[in-house]
Amino acid sequence: MRPGIDDIRTLVAAAGVAVEAEDAALGVVARVAAHDAIDALSAFSAGGYESLVDFDGIDTGEAIELTWRLRSYSMDCEAYLKTTVAYDAEIHSAWNVYPSALMPERETAELLGLRLAGHPNPKRLFTTDGIPPLLRKDVAIRSEEEVKNR
Amino acid sequence: MSDARDDIVTVGLLAEGTHDPGTPPAGIRRAPTGVDDLATEHLIVNMGPQHPSTHGVLRLLVELDGEEIKNAEVTLGYLHRGIEKLAEHRRFDAIGTLMDRGDYVSGIMGETAVALAVEQLMEIEVPRRARWIRVMMAEINRIATHLLWYGTMGLDTGAMGPFLYAMRDRESLLDILEAVSGARMMFNYVRPGGVVADLPVGIDTKIREFCDAFDTYVEEHDAILSGNEIFQARLNGIGVIDAEKAFAFGLTGPNLRAAGVDFDLRKRRPYDAYDEMDFDVPLGTTGDAMDRFSVRMEEMRQSNRIIRQCIEGMPEGEHTAKVPKVLRPPAGEVYASVESARGEVGVHLVTDGGMSPYRMHYHGPSLYALQALEDIIPGHLIADGCVMIGSTDIMLGEVDR
Repeated sequence: MRPGIDDIRTLVAAAGVAVEAEDAALGVVARVAAHDAIDALSAFSAGGYESLVDFDGIDTGEAIELTWRLRSYSMDCEAYLKTTVAYDAEIHSAWNVYPSALMPERETAELLGLRLAGHPNPKRLFTTDGIPPLLRKDVAIRSEEEVKNR
Repeated sequence: MSDARDDIVTVGLLAEGTHDPGTPPAGIRRAPTGVDDLATEHLIVNMGPQHPSTHGVLRLLVELDGEEIKNAEVTLGYLHRGIEKLAEHRRFDAIGTLMDRGDYVSGIMGETAVALAVEQLMEIEVPRRARWIRVMMAEINRIATHLLWYGTMGLDTGAMGPFLYAMRDRESLLDILEAVSGARMMFNYVRPGGVVADLPVGIDTKIREFCDAFDTYVEEHDAILSGNEIFQARLNGIGVIDAEKAFAFGLTGPNLRAAGVDFDLRKRRPYDAYDEMDFDVPLGTTGDAMDRFSVRMEEMRQSNRIIRQCIEGMPEGEHTAKVPKVLRPPAGEVYASVESARGEVGVHLVTDGGMSPYRMHYHGPSLYALQALEDIIPGHLIADGCVMIGSTDIMLGEVDR
């Protein structure tokens, strides 16, 4: 279920974070600056959102947009937190707030070319060193011809 | 060097009827005295792939003190199907078949997640018959998946027989899935707007026969393992994941419900025709391996109940909505999720108005279960580690997608 948009705005703003909230097709989305993301996540955690059920990133063509999907089992609702970071930016791990961020953060950092700080085990999860960030738009998939001639 | 060998005592043959229980049998040599006082170092071992669904894709890097695991790190790779990247270069009606290759034994659920996301974006109204068919197929697929887990759970505890019995029933289900979709594994059956083809004539009889037989078989399955004292000893109190830990590690599905959390997307966020079905959501109490086992066993009974309702009350009508040949959803983003056999399978779909997704993120429950495993395995024995991996029912196809 969707929480009230004002509730989300109040929840995040109480942590001293500037927030924009909207009720979109995706759900209720709170947008914060990248340097406020961990504080905003802490506010969600303190506000009864017990679980981070998903974390991923999108290459918008200009930057990387990060999306956290948070769920409150006690209130039976879900909300989204979004922020935007530059290509090759350093993002700070949220594992202290939500331990479930441990592997999705490694995955997102690796596949979108971000650097991970404050993570207990920040090495690559899926691919080996030297593989480009595959989910970036500037990394093309191989054509049939390239595969055949490999 | 010679001192150690002097401590070894070779025991000779005992005269008949003079067996001393404190004496090793003939030919067995005692260990050198003082062996228990030896200083030993921790051993780093690569463990696995050990479970059938982890073939080549998962190994545990474990630090051992004898048989006790002091530390465990999950190491993934290299399946690399590249589902998310490939989806950016496929038309919307072709993404479902990529999802089949994620959790490759629960393909119907993965396909449904994509279909729901596209339907949300395009505001497609799915005909009632199509929604019922989807539910029936998903529940048939759920039992087939749980049977695979059940069989391998037996293998993880050293029991071979249950696997063979489980495969017998699973074959019947795969026959039904094949008759309906044309495939036994990569179904490619659920499409945005409904399903690709209507149910074949006579399939209802086959499904009814399975439901009737499975009522008996599921009780046999349950009794074979849960009634076994060794099995109970291997599972009771092992790998406890309580509700707090399940929340912290983002667990969903049976692993979450085994911790006593009443959350099932089929009930809480009903999709397709689940709001028209009558079924119960089984819950555990402590969150140990036995609870995870019991929850899945009961889920099979409930799925059978749902299938029976579907076959008895299947509505007439179209099997798909009228959708354009080439789907072109408007720009936007949605998140659709379904209750798969292992937990929540979600699709975060971002579109820019083109013929392919701008970005598709595939959320699978097993990655999150692996994180919890890293936390709970240390302190247990190697054999218990195997049981814990089996009891969380991970599928690496959806992890290293």
